Amino acid sequence: MNWLNDNVNVLALLGAAAILILTVGVSWKYIQQMKTDKSSGELAKENWDGIGEYKNALPIGWALSFLGTIIWGLWYFLAGYPLSSYSQIGEYNEEVQSHTTKFETKFANPDQTTLMNMGEGVFLVQCAPCHGVTGDGMNGKAANLGKWGNEEAIVASILNGAKGSEYPLGEMPAGLLDAESAKAVAAYVMQEVSSVKKTKNPALVEAGRALWATCAACHGDDGKGMAGSAPDLSVYGDAKFVVNVLGTGKKGTIGNMPKFNDGRLTNVQKTAVGTYVSSLVK
Amino acid sequence: MFHWLERNPFFFAVGVFLVIAYAGVVTILPDFMESARPVTGTKPYTVLELAGRQVYIKDSCNACHSQLVRPFKSETDRYGMYSLSGEYAYDRPFLWGSKRTGPDLMRVGNYRTTDWHEYHMLEPQSVVPGSIMPAYKHMFKNVADIETAYAEAFTVKTVFNVPYDQADMPKLGTFDEAKKALMDEAALIVADMKSQEVKEAFKRGEIKEIVALIAYLNSLK
Repeated sequence: MNWLNDNVNVLALLGAAAILILTVGVSWKYIQQMKTDKSSGELAKENWDGIGEYKNALPIGWALSFLGTIIWGLWYFLAGYPLSSYSQIGEYNEEVQSHTTKFETKFANPDQTTLMNMGEGVFLVQCAPCHGVTGDGMNGKAANLGKWGNEEAIVASILNGAKGSEYPLGEMPAGLLDAESAKAVAAYVMQEVSSVKKTKNPALVEAGRALWATCAACHGDDGKGMAGSAPDLSVYGDAKFVVNVLGTGKKGTIGNMPKFNDGRLTNVQKTAVGTYVSSLVK
Repeated sequence: MFHWLERNPFFFAVGVFLVIAYAGVVTILPDFMESARPVTGTKPYTVLELAGRQVYIKDSCNACHSQLVRPFKSETDRYGMYSLSGEYAYDRPFLWGSKRTGPDLMRVGNYRTTDWHEYHMLEPQSVVPGSIMPAYKHMFKNVADIETAYAEAFTVKTVFNVPYDQADMPKLGTFDEAKKALMDEAALIVADMKSQEVKEAFKRGEIKEIVALIAYLNSLK
């Protein structure tokens, strides 16, 4: 046992020694004094069953500490407790503040691996209850994220419509185009508008461009959604598109997705989820 | 110096009482005055939500699920903003819970939806692998007790002045008015559900317990 390696132990042992020496010293002094002392002085008026009390002046040290205690007590009653007492919420705010600072410094410029790991962690807590641990939507209970965010998904959106994102221009009705035209527009969006810039059907791109007018009414000529009036398709296939969905929520044909804009996720965490979800797309 | 005090034990006792009473006044009263008021935006439950709340209590959901988010980062990360006492102003009784076997439900309305609750109540393990929560299939069979829920709302309005029928507050009115408002509210939830049994019962004018319970859970924000 290396008791003396610990500062606290050393201090405690030193304190114990000091108390022992002082006790012995002080006791010895008063025992000697009791042997020689004579009682003298003026008696106070009170007398309890024959036991009197001398009118001694207060010892200076005792009087000072008594006065000091009174002053401290007044300060504590009037200002100390009411104005600056411990607050649980105050401690919580400090805890959050220090965590936020640490988080922001550590993840100021996260690399792809960090984002993927963070995204997977957040996904398992926040998204997996509906989309499933693997993101497959658990047999149709929520969107299958493996089939979401790719070219086929655009075709599906055009044929089935898109609902519940609460964009100012409203919901996208089903069946704006027939299946063939939808495929062409999907090719155009993937090649020219989205951040993927690649299509499985390059031959259809020009046909899609010709049909784009139908979509441009809401999504704008450039597909950027006219400054937030409709979904911004130029980030389709990118983490940002997922971040937008997290902000708006969804109420589609399968079910409801709540908004994730109540401060539960930081911006970095949202991007991380976006990166992770984008990586699930097959 | 204080001999006069020692000779007057009664006034000494009064002095001690005053000093201690002052400490009580400055430490207890300000907190009470501030936090016991309903938080802005806190509203009494609608009749449908109250019916759901009665189902929640009847089936002892509060035995495993608390409704109290404590002010720690680990809690607010998972359950949302910590609870304030003013948020419980219209909870009779409050459902804080003393033990978390399941997660806290104080703000479950923010992150779960009608269809999720439906899957979850029918078969918890289908959406939460490894969950130990039992299934509550009987909620899809039993009919919610609307009369008692209305009686509860009417009682707290009359006895405790809970602000029903005031500006920006839920309407209560007569039982027939309340029933009509409740059917409209339930229609929205039934529309989001998948169970044919519940939908058909609703067409017959019956509201199953699950509908009321989901209305209540969605209202927890």
